[in-house]
Amino acid sequence: MKASRRYILFRLFPVLFLVLFFPGLATGKVLVGVIMTGDIPYYGSMHEAFVGGLKKKLPADQDVQFILQRPFPDPIAWSNAARKLIALDVDLIVSYGAPATHAVLFEKSNIPVVYAGVYEPQASNLKGKSVTGCGYRVPLSSLLRYFKRIRDIKELRVVYSSTEEDTVRQMTELVNLAQQQNINPVRLDIRSHGDLKKLKSISTNDAVYVTGSSLAHIWIEDIVTALREKNVPAVGIFPDSNEAGMLITLFQPPGQQGETAAEIAAKIIGGEQAGNIAPELLRETELVFNLAEAKELGITFPIQLIIEATRVIK
Amino acid sequence: MTSLTQAIPRRICWAYLIVPLSVLLMYFCFATQIRGEERHRELLIGIEPEHNIFDQVQRYRALAAYLSDQLGLKVKLTIMSRYGEVIQRFRSLRLDGALLSSYTASLAIRELGLIPVVNLVNPEEGSTSQGYIFVRKDSGIKNVSDMRDRSVVFVDPATTEGYVFARAFFRQHGIDDLDSFFSRHYFSGSHASAVFAVLDGRADIGSAKNTVYNQLVARDRSILNELSIIATSPEVPEVTLCLKSDLAPEVLEKLRTALLKMDETVEGHKVLKQLAARRFVRASPDDFAVVSDMAEDAGIKMLNGSSNR
Repeated sequence: MKASRRYILFRLFPVLFLVLFFPGLATGKVLVGVIMTGDIPYYGSMHEAFVGGLKKKLPADQDVQFILQRPFPDPIAWSNAARKLIALDVDLIVSYGAPATHAVLFEKSNIPVVYAGVYEPQASNLKGKSVTGCGYRVPLSSLLRYFKRIRDIKELRVVYSSTEEDTVRQMTELVNLAQQQNINPVRLDIRSHGDLKKLKSISTNDAVYVTGSSLAHIWIEDIVTALREKNVPAVGIFPDSNEAGMLITLFQPPGQQGETAAEIAAKIIGGEQAGNIAPELLRETELVFNLAEAKELGITFPIQLIIEATRVIK
Repeated sequence: MTSLTQAIPRRICWAYLIVPLSVLLMYFCFATQIRGEERHRELLIGIEPEHNIFDQVQRYRALAAYLSDQLGLKVKLTIMSRYGEVIQRFRSLRLDGALLSSYTASLAIRELGLIPVVNLVNPEEGSTSQGYIFVRKDSGIKNVSDMRDRSVVFVDPATTEGYVFARAFFRQHGIDDLDSFFSRHYFSGSHASAVFAVLDGRADIGSAKNTVYNQLVARDRSILNELSIIATSPEVPEVTLCLKSDLAPEVLEKLRTALLKMDETVEGHKVLKQLAARRFVRASPDDFAVVSDMAEDAGIKMLNGSSNR
């Protein structure tokens, strides 16, 4: 009798502990579904940091499998990606960007959701018992301020996508900021590749501000090429990882968001309720000046401006 | 065997020694006098670096030319490579004086016995400046406890407004060790850069001089909507001309008078305008007591070249 009690205590207690605190371990494998919109390097870096961070946080022998969905930035594609992951009954869904996260939440599943790469998540209304994550904020006014110091701007074209809620908010904020600075703002809604034709009407004295739109970033090289023909500079809030030719970028480093999302995901895999984990807003930014592009465009960066940069592309 | 001294008559021996010694003595006296005169035909004044040293050279060049003309001796200016380098440069470059911010002026008065001669009066009619500690309004930081695990940008360890004041303020609120309280801290190198770093989100908290902060705000009012000031320091002299105490008193007085009367001449006005200054006012060592007090509050030993970080 005593022996059987001892058996229960020493053999079953650790198992019960694992089941209670690490449900993923109890089943042996954790299935993480990931929605990463398009092949945007910003989300790619975030995901890389997430995978690396999660592996560090979990026990070495923990088997984690990632199912990666790369939908085109389109409401139907986002929705299909979310449904696929729910049908596969993954343990956790990780979504990069506000539209992908909204698509998952719309499906109302009980699978916990961790988001990252969401601009001002508190304004995105990402609420629920099984949702948490991290987002970012970039002072949009700073880029406008630097822009004005290198050239006079009469008209500011704001590239956004009306299908991506967070870029609509960025566009609205930029329109207000431009008006305060006596600059005429022009909204440039990109919903299809054909919308890039709107860039043909741009004039040399204009400037382009690219929001965090996934659609715009899928076609960023086409945008920059079109602008280069008109000698018009562009600035944006995503890093120009492929050095397409953005003149100035001010961005929240994606690696930090990936690591933060990994910390949150590890807690959920460890048994914490997603809704009990407070979302995080990351604010630290990096400022990059592309002097090679400036030379192409005939723009001279004042020395007192260059010293502000975190990195300079020569 | 007789020795040489015994062989040479004593009188001749003395003559052989006295004549060259006298010549040498006369040479040294004369040479020192010539060097002293040469030195006072030229004054070398150091300047601490600002945001854009190219603009700075341009601005101060006019002052050097004006003073050369007024004093009848060549006034040369040299820009020091960084804040707090004043002590080394006084020794290595044999500077006669320097236009210094309050921390380095205080240090130079204490360590080198420099005499504070005049303070520069800025366009807002002030000869003093204050330190600001500021944050972005949307940062959620309202007080020191909200600053935990956030990043902070200072200007340079040898600035009162851009470092010493902030350290004193943090210490008053129980923060002695920056590394354990803040996520990181760094030095931007200029007051304007510290303001831009906070505006951009490259740092959460900044410390810089009010005059530079206000200039940036005057150029771009939108900054007012984005930043809020958490703390303000007592007033300290902004820029002071300090001269070596061994400088000829007549040169020192002539220089002081020329600067104090600059705003009374048309030519002087032009130079002041280029310097972005109204005029100069007389400075006193007492002006710097507030700096020493602040350094003490910050737990900073005023050392040559910098403060203990």
